[in-house]
Amino acid sequence: MAEEARSIDPATLEMIDKAREDGSSNVFERSSNMKPCPIGLEGSCCRICSMGPCRVPLPKNKEETAEERAKRKGVCGATAETIAARNFARMIAAGSAAHSDHARKVTETFLLAAKGEAKGFTIKDEQKLLQVALNFGVKIAERSNEEIATEIGELVMKEFGRQEGELTPVKSAPLKRQELWQKTKVTPRGIDREVVEMMHRTHMGVDQEYKSIMSQAMRTALADGWGGSMLATDLQDIMFGTPAPVLSQINLGVLKKEDVNIIIHGHEPQLAEMLAVVVQDPGIIEYARSKGARGINLAGMCCTANEILMRHGVPIAGNFLQQELAIVTGALEAIVVDVQCIMQGLADVAQCYHTRVITTDPRAKMTGAEHIEFDEHRAWESAEQIIRTAIDNFPNRGKNIRIPDQKTDLVAGFSHETINYLLGGLFRASYRPLNENIINGRIRGVAGVVGCNNARTVHDNAHITLVKELIKNDVLVLQTGCSAMACAKAGLMLPEAAREFAGEGLASVCEAVGIPPVLHLGSCVDNARILIAATAMVKDGGLGDDISDLPVAGAAPEWMSEKALSIGQYFVGSGVFTVFGTTWPTTGSKELTEFLFKDYESIYGGMWAFEADPYKMAELMLGHIDKKRKDLGLDKARDRVLYDMAMRRELDAV
Amino acid sequence: MEYEVMSAEAPGRKQVNILGATFEDGKPSGEECGRWRQKLNSRSEQLKYLETAERYWYGKEWFGSEKRKNPA
Repeated sequence: MAEEARSIDPATLEMIDKAREDGSSNVFERSSNMKPCPIGLEGSCCRICSMGPCRVPLPKNKEETAEERAKRKGVCGATAETIAARNFARMIAAGSAAHSDHARKVTETFLLAAKGEAKGFTIKDEQKLLQVALNFGVKIAERSNEEIATEIGELVMKEFGRQEGELTPVKSAPLKRQELWQKTKVTPRGIDREVVEMMHRTHMGVDQEYKSIMSQAMRTALADGWGGSMLATDLQDIMFGTPAPVLSQINLGVLKKEDVNIIIHGHEPQLAEMLAVVVQDPGIIEYARSKGARGINLAGMCCTANEILMRHGVPIAGNFLQQELAIVTGALEAIVVDVQCIMQGLADVAQCYHTRVITTDPRAKMTGAEHIEFDEHRAWESAEQIIRTAIDNFPNRGKNIRIPDQKTDLVAGFSHETINYLLGGLFRASYRPLNENIINGRIRGVAGVVGCNNARTVHDNAHITLVKELIKNDVLVLQTGCSAMACAKAGLMLPEAAREFAGEGLASVCEAVGIPPVLHLGSCVDNARILIAATAMVKDGGLGDDISDLPVAGAAPEWMSEKALSIGQYFVGSGVFTVFGTTWPTTGSKELTEFLFKDYESIYGGMWAFEADPYKMAELMLGHIDKKRKDLGLDKARDRVLYDMAMRRELDAV
Repeated sequence: MEYEVMSAEAPGRKQVNILGATFEDGKPSGEECGRWRQKLNSRSEQLKYLETAERYWYGKEWFGSEKRKNPA
C-alpha cells in the first residue's frame, strides 16, 4: 500500500512521515512488512491439537472438484466447514469474553461503590438505578440508593455464573425476538457458561457439525450483546451518569505543546473517570506548573476515550491506528492503558521518545511498559500517582515536537435515553417522531456503523465514505467505537453536517430536532444502546413486530478485533442485516459462508454479508433497507384518509 | 439574565419594541450544558418518567405494536 494511501486523515499522514524521519516503528510500517497468512485469513488453519496445525485451504483460481473437496480434511478428519466454523466461533467467544470480563470488572467496582468501599465512586444517576432495579425486579420503595445498588450488583454478578434459565436483560428484547430465540434454543443462560461451552465444543473431537457449532456461537454472542455489554453499559451509566449531548474535539491536534499531555487508552472507564477528576485538582495543577508546564491536558483514545467523551466531553486524540502516532508527536508525557486494543508496539515506539507507557490493570501487562496498578479501593491515590508520574516526565521532553493542527468539533452523548428525550421532551419523550418520519419517507431507514480500524485498509476511509453515502440517502446513522471517531474527525457529528452532507429529508428532521445526522452512542460495549434503540422503534409501533422487520442495517467497514465479530453476530442474531468490510474469516468454506450469508436470514431474520468497497457496502445496506420498507408497505406514497364515524366503527369491529 | 429589547418596524404601527434574542452567544461548553436528567428531582418524578417516557418497558398501559390484535 502506498504511503499516501495509508490514511485519509492528514494528521495521521503527517505523523507517519515524522515517524519515518525519526526512525520509529509503527503499525502502518509493520503491516507493509508483514503480509497476512493466506490460510489463516480464510479460516482454513486448524491448530487446536498437536497433530496439526492442519492447513485445508481452498484451491486457488479454480473451482474445487468433489475429489479435492473430499481430501480437504485435517489429520483427525475435520472438514473445512468444521475447521472454519470452529475458528469463527472461537473468535466470537473471545470477543464475548472481552466485553463480558469488562462488565464483570465494572460490576465489582459498582458493588464497592454501593457499599461505600470505593472512595470517589458513587451512584450518579439515580434514575438509571431505578430503571435497572425495575429490570431486575429489585424492590425500590423507600430504600436508599446504596441498598438498591447493592442488591442490583449482587444480582448482576450472578448473571455471569448463571447455569440455567435466561439472562435478565434478554427480557428487554422485542417479544417476538425472545420467542424466536427460545424456539431456536439460542437464548443465553449465563454469560460465562456460554463462553465456556463454546470453548468446549470447539475443542478437538467435540462438536463437528458446523451448523451446531454456529448455533452455540450465536448463543455466546447474544450473551455478549444482551448480557455482558448491556450490563456494563447500564452499570456504568448508574455510576458515571447516562450520557447527554456534550461538545468536544477530536484528533491529534487536541494535544497541547505547553501542557503535560496524558492519554488514557483502552476500554474500561473506572480509571479514566478518576483521572478526569484528579487532573482538575488545584494541587496537581500547581505541581505540573512547578515542572514548567502550563497545566495538564487529559485526552482519550479508543473506547476509554468514548466513555469519558460521552460523559465529560474530554477530547479524543484519535482512534485505534493513531495510538502510536500520539507518541510520535514528541509531546506526550504518558500513555496510560487499561484493557483491549492496546498495541504492544507502544513500548517500542516510546523508546524513541520520552513517553512513559503505563499499564494499570493486572489483566493487561506489557513488556517494556511500567505498571502502576489501579486499585478501586484507593482510586484517587492510584490516579494521582499516575498523573504525578506523567508530570515528572514533562522536563524530559525532547525538542523534536510536532503536533498536527488537525482537530474537529463534535457533539456526542446520544444514549437511548437522550434520543428518546430529544425526540419528544420531558413530558412526551418518545420514538414516535422517528418512526413517523421513517413511515413518511423523510428518513429512509437507520444504520448502525461501528467497529475498529484495520491497517490492511486505508485508515478511516471506509467508515467516512460509507456513512456519507448513507446520510446522503436519508439514512440516520448511529455509531460507536473507532468508527464514530473516524466520522467525528470528518465533521459528521455536528448539527450543521445535516445541511451539508445529508439528504433533504433526513436534514429536515435533524434540523427540526437539533441533532447531527450521525449520532455518537459511545464505546463498543455501548452497541447495546443500539439494540435498545432498535427495540424502542419496534415497541413504538408502525414498523413491524421485531427488529428484523425494521428498515435498518449494520456495518463494521474496518473491523479488526474478535469483539467486532461478536458484535456482528449478536446483531445478526437480533435480526439485523450486517455487512463487514476489509476481510472475511470463513471464505475457506463456501458452505459455512453461504450458511452465514444466506441461510441465517431464514433462521434469525438477519444475516451476514461481506463487501470491502464502501460504496457497494452502502448499496447493499440501502437495498436491504428498501426491501424492508417494501415489506412494510412503505415503498409507495399513500393518500391520507380522513376517517368518518362509520369507518371508525368498521375498524373497531376488526 | 437581562433581556435585550430591539426596535423593529411593524405593519401599520411603524417602530415597535420587541424582545431580542434570549439565548447566549457562542458554543455551549462544560459538562452541564446538555444535561437534562437533573430536571427530574424526586424519586417519584423519576419513576413517573420511566412509566411514561420509557413506557415501552415500564408503562402499565403500553405495549406498543406488540399487543395489537392483528400482528404486522
